Amino acid sequence: MPRLRATAIIPLLLLAASAGCSAPGANDDDAKSGSGPIKIALVDAQSGQLSSLGAWELKGARLAVDEWNAAGGVNGRQIQLDVFDDQGDPTTGTTLARKIDSEGHIAMIGTAESAVTIAMAPILKQAEIPNITSGQSPGLVAAGSEFLFLNGPTSTTYDETLAKYIVDKQGLKSIAMITNNGSYGKGEHDAFLKALSSRNVVPVADQVVTTDQKDFSAVLTGIRQKNPQVIFVGAEEVESGLIVKQARDLGITVPFAGAAPQGTPVFLDTAGAKNAEKTIVSSPYLSNDVSDASKKFAAAYKAKYNEDAELHGAKAYDGTQILLTALKSSNVATGKALADAIRGTKYQGLLGDFAYDQTGVGIFATSIGTIQNGKLVAVTG
Amino acid sequence: MQVFLQTIIGGVSLGAVYALVALGFSLVYRTMGLVNFAHGNVVTVGAYLASTFYLTSKLPFALAMVIAIAVTGAIGLVIERVLRPLENRDFDLMLIGTIGFGIVLDALVIAIWGATGRAVPSPVQTEPIDLLGLRIRTYDLVVLAIAAAATVLLVLFLSRTKRGAAMQAVAMDHEAATAVGIHVGRSNAIAFMIGAGLAALAGGLVGPLLYVSPALGGALGIKGFAAAILGGFGSIPGAIVGGLAIGVLDSFTAGHFQGYSELVTFIVFTVIIMVRPTGVFGERTVNRA
Repeated sequence: MPRLRATAIIPLLLLAASAGCSAPGANDDDAKSGSGPIKIALVDAQSGQLSSLGAWELKGARLAVDEWNAAGGVNGRQIQLDVFDDQGDPTTGTTLARKIDSEGHIAMIGTAESAVTIAMAPILKQAEIPNITSGQSPGLVAAGSEFLFLNGPTSTTYDETLAKYIVDKQGLKSIAMITNNGSYGKGEHDAFLKALSSRNVVPVADQVVTTDQKDFSAVLTGIRQKNPQVIFVGAEEVESGLIVKQARDLGITVPFAGAAPQGTPVFLDTAGAKNAEKTIVSSPYLSNDVSDASKKFAAAYKAKYNEDAELHGAKAYDGTQILLTALKSSNVATGKALADAIRGTKYQGLLGDFAYDQTGVGIFATSIGTIQNGKLVAVTG
Repeated sequence: MQVFLQTIIGGVSLGAVYALVALGFSLVYRTMGLVNFAHGNVVTVGAYLASTFYLTSKLPFALAMVIAIAVTGAIGLVIERVLRPLENRDFDLMLIGTIGFGIVLDALVIAIWGATGRAVPSPVQTEPIDLLGLRIRTYDLVVLAIAAAATVLLVLFLSRTKRGAAMQAVAMDHEAATAVGIHVGRSNAIAFMIGAGLAALAGGLVGPLLYVSPALGGALGIKGFAAAILGGFGSIPGAIVGGLAIGVLDSFTAGHFQGYSELVTFIVFTVIIMVRPTGVFGERTVNRA
């Protein structure tokens, strides 16, 4: 991590030095003109509670950039990926949005936190900097920026698929919900509740917790008395893990269900593999073995970072690939032209086939998997 | 009724950890009159050290804890030694010095262990005890027992040993204590060392309950500080009562006010402090304030 920081700072220093020599405002055009490296910003939490998301994103994006650079870059120009730490904080995010604009970055990868991305969206829209986020809150679509793109499905897709499996296929109607009151949890709450009510199912419990809550005894004991068949959790990795662990300690034996976070290693470690058994996960990237492309990606990821790839790294890899493809097809365009190029990019990614619509969403399907023997396994049929 | 009792059980186990954090705050405060703002970060360091020795070096949990407490205690000594020249000169600078140390420790933790954090499996693998439908985790009982033992040892040290009595004397009147030949600096150093050791104990114990990350100490530090204030800042029994009270209060507000639980917890806390500014066991006249 400190090495990353140092490498992120050096270009900034160089930039500050070069900016000092040129006329005010000139640096903005320098970076966009036809020579020198193409500057792309990666904004993500590199510290704080959400830093695991930021670390995965960085690894996925870096892998894509390195592959392109090794193959000669875009139009013979190398791609320079500068890392910025938003600490998972929307206020820091808005400061960084202005910073990447003034430093002449032509596009942004990140963030992994919907709330931060939503806060940054108006500034990036004004600055005409296309942004490919890993957030999945429907609020991102509601932000209504033509410069904002998602590298995965929204919560609506995740939870519709999940509800379809649980209610329609498994016939489970007695469902309890626990979600947190953060941006992600709120999105999950609304999307899953909507999917349930369209099936005329009313959850037996609908509990909301705070994002940094540590003890869930009261909420879970309440749910235990309702005796649900399955418990839906809408919270980030660590909190979901704690909820599942404490639920098992309280003698709750029914399976849990949720979206992307429940398929991650952090969730598994926090909950304990035994406790997470049978968790139902809705995810666009269930495992590294789903396709040849994902096997190749996973092998490259393992070779570079010596750890197993997972959803967030894959999403960031896809998003970065789409951006770089669009840069190439548009002959390194910037601003609105680049945004249009991204919208026009059809890309076969790790998550599926991307084709962007006007809302900035490019993919509309997830698959269902369950955790068996500590591994996420696709449900067939 | 079952929800009520289970909520108390859940609150007490985290409350015991808050109590240990509060003890560290209070011990330094009663001896030096100083709020150690680095305390929460010391908790994080302790949690990381304990989890590293336990998971990476594969030492038994108890031994890992002892080493973590010793190393963290040494960090406490360093903090005190650096701040010592400011003692009795500029108090504000000392406060800011502890904040600075907090930032340094935070950065060190991220530099050494990275920002991602790690999960620590529980060292006690037995099934929770089932008591008339109430579930009690065995590890919670271990935490409570260790917290109680630590408190008893601390009280015995302060009341029965010469060094402890000297610390009490410094707490009451450091000039008079100096006059009778007590080394005030050494007394402060011991307070800082024990305080840091208690932080490591809290951090190490809470690791298997939660998730060890750089943000761990921040959350525990604030709750622990609130616990110390609630019980009466500087008071040893106050820290215990305050810690358990904050834990249980937190647990109940989580059940009743859902997403607004944190807000309600601190509103209740503020009201109690307004009614009783010195806290439950407040005895400010005895301590330096």
